[in-house]
Amino acid sequence: MNSSVLWYASQATGIVSLVLYTIVMLLGITVAGQGTVPGLPRFSVVALHRSISLLSIAFLAVHIGTALLDSYVDISFISSFVPFASSYEPLWIGLGAVAVDLMIALVVTSLLRGRISPRVWRVVHWLAYAFWPVAIAHTIGLGAGKGGLISGWGLWLTIACVVAVGAALVWRVAAQQERSRRTPAQVLEKTRSEVRV
Amino acid sequence: MTAIDNGIREAAVQQQTQVERTEDNGVLPSRPLGLADHRVYYGALPTPDQLPLGELAAKLGHAGVRGRGGAGFPLYRKLVSVSGAARARRVAPTIVANGCEGEPASHKDKHLLWLAPHLVLDGMVLLGRELRATRAVLAIEAGAPHGKGDLVRRVREAVAERDVRQDGVRVEVVEVPGRFIAGESAALVSTLDGGPGLPTYREDSVRERGVGGTPTLIQNVETVAQVALIARYGADWFRDYGTAAEPGPQLFTVYAGRNRPRVVHAAAGAPLWPLIADAEPIDAVLIGGYHGSWITAPMARHARLSEADLDVPLGAGLIAALPAERCGLAETAHIVRYLALESAGQCGPCLNGLPRIAAALELLADPHHASQRNGLLEDLERWCGMVEGRGLCHHPDGSVRLVRSALIVFRTEIAAHRAGLCTGGDRRPLLPAPAPAREYAAH
Repeated sequence: MNSSVLWYASQATGIVSLVLYTIVMLLGITVAGQGTVPGLPRFSVVALHRSISLLSIAFLAVHIGTALLDSYVDISFISSFVPFASSYEPLWIGLGAVAVDLMIALVVTSLLRGRISPRVWRVVHWLAYAFWPVAIAHTIGLGAGKGGLISGWGLWLTIACVVAVGAALVWRVAAQQERSRRTPAQVLEKTRSEVRV
Repeated sequence: MTAIDNGIREAAVQQQTQVERTEDNGVLPSRPLGLADHRVYYGALPTPDQLPLGELAAKLGHAGVRGRGGAGFPLYRKLVSVSGAARARRVAPTIVANGCEGEPASHKDKHLLWLAPHLVLDGMVLLGRELRATRAVLAIEAGAPHGKGDLVRRVREAVAERDVRQDGVRVEVVEVPGRFIAGESAALVSTLDGGPGLPTYREDSVRERGVGGTPTLIQNVETVAQVALIARYGADWFRDYGTAAEPGPQLFTVYAGRNRPRVVHAAAGAPLWPLIADAEPIDAVLIGGYHGSWITAPMARHARLSEADLDVPLGAGLIAALPAERCGLAETAHIVRYLALESAGQCGPCLNGLPRIAAALELLADPHHASQRNGLLEDLERWCGMVEGRGLCHHPDGSVRLVRSALIVFRTEIAAHRAGLCTGGDRRPLLPAPAPAREYAAH
């Protein structure tokens, strides 16, 4: 297979993975912040979060596989798991390896969720907030370079992803603060003032 | 009453100990008893030789004791599962006598602890020996309001009077904040473990893993006192009271008319009416507690005091007659407002549901609003359905039970309110509903 085909396949699946993982992040933040997606019942937000995260594994596998097969740069199989073992772009490939490891931890603990303690799952799942920025750094670090797709529309797409997740995080913190201020007495007062107008 | 029982009472009278028998057959004395008087009045506590291991459990099983804290769970089954968990895990269990009445209108537990603290302590000692418990905790409401004096001090003095070596069980007295849900078993375990004292999600029941992770037997103080009576007088004595399905002497807090509430001793199957006849004319009767149910006056007139006959749980033993000049809707709204404010605010259905239900009931209780707003009943029905069976504890369920019974029992009053009238002349609340001392911390 032509090396440039592999190169583009790797870049394209990388971008698709980024978009999918961004959607997974947005859905996960929605669930954790007890929010809703218009038109969807809560359980389908959870189901969608789970299904899309599994779907993106397929894209990630192609992304890594094509990058390994591509003979233009030499990336070893090991360096796709072991951080900073790559001779080519050790930092950016290394961040990709970190993201892969974190993702494996997230997926494995979620698949075993019924068998492990809820606390372990919860702590590991917080790693999602490390996984996603690392993946973004990997994307920009490699993709924005010479011949990468993170320029022009690709760059704008990445910026849109960052803005979306940032906004979701702000919403989550605000929602949590609003909830923590809510007490039965407050709800009673609020309902009273609403119904008596 | 058996011969033994009468014999003990006779002995008490003959020895001139100034302990008088009361109108309630002497299950509770008429004045507070110290340890010496207590032994004369009730007889000595059976020694471990007189009551070998296993025998107490058998007696309690035969007696058919059910918990007197409100849920009515069979004591024997709890005992078996706690001792089973203790044996399986080789961990010594904890026993907790729960004196956190919580219910503002109920006084029976405080009354019992005031008059006969040693009966509760005896029961704890007996259960402690039977389960080979290493910890025995008596939980009482901090600064428990009691008309006659400082209850916490009285209980501590009673504990100090006892001989720990002879008892074989050392009782710790722990003061628990007097909140409505503080006595819920998981909330109580949380308090005893130094936590916030709120209902929590537990993978295992407290019977498996309770205080400090040990298998924990939590029983209402009245149930514990019944253990002490059964150990002395036997299961047959216990079954002489009440009906086959609801045996045993029980304590009730009775509101009848303008008098202060009384704590009376009664047994299932007795007519209900004599207890509340003083309050005539009455409109309805609240049975069980703030998580209980209203019944109509005609029903109360003919019913017997038993769950089977009333078809509602006797719960924590509250019987409150609502005089005819009072408005049942105003009374219910007042109670439900209290219940909503007592929510720990942990679970969505309770936090968002109960205050809305309370607000809608307040509107319904006010003829001016009830006549102007349509859909109040529909909203209430819908919200009741949405909170029922949800949440960590049964606070929403119990509150909804009260609301539902009010919507049925006071339906003519509802019709009057919707026409802009109220048949109750006196809108002052009858039953107490203290404002929360402090809000539960938000989560």
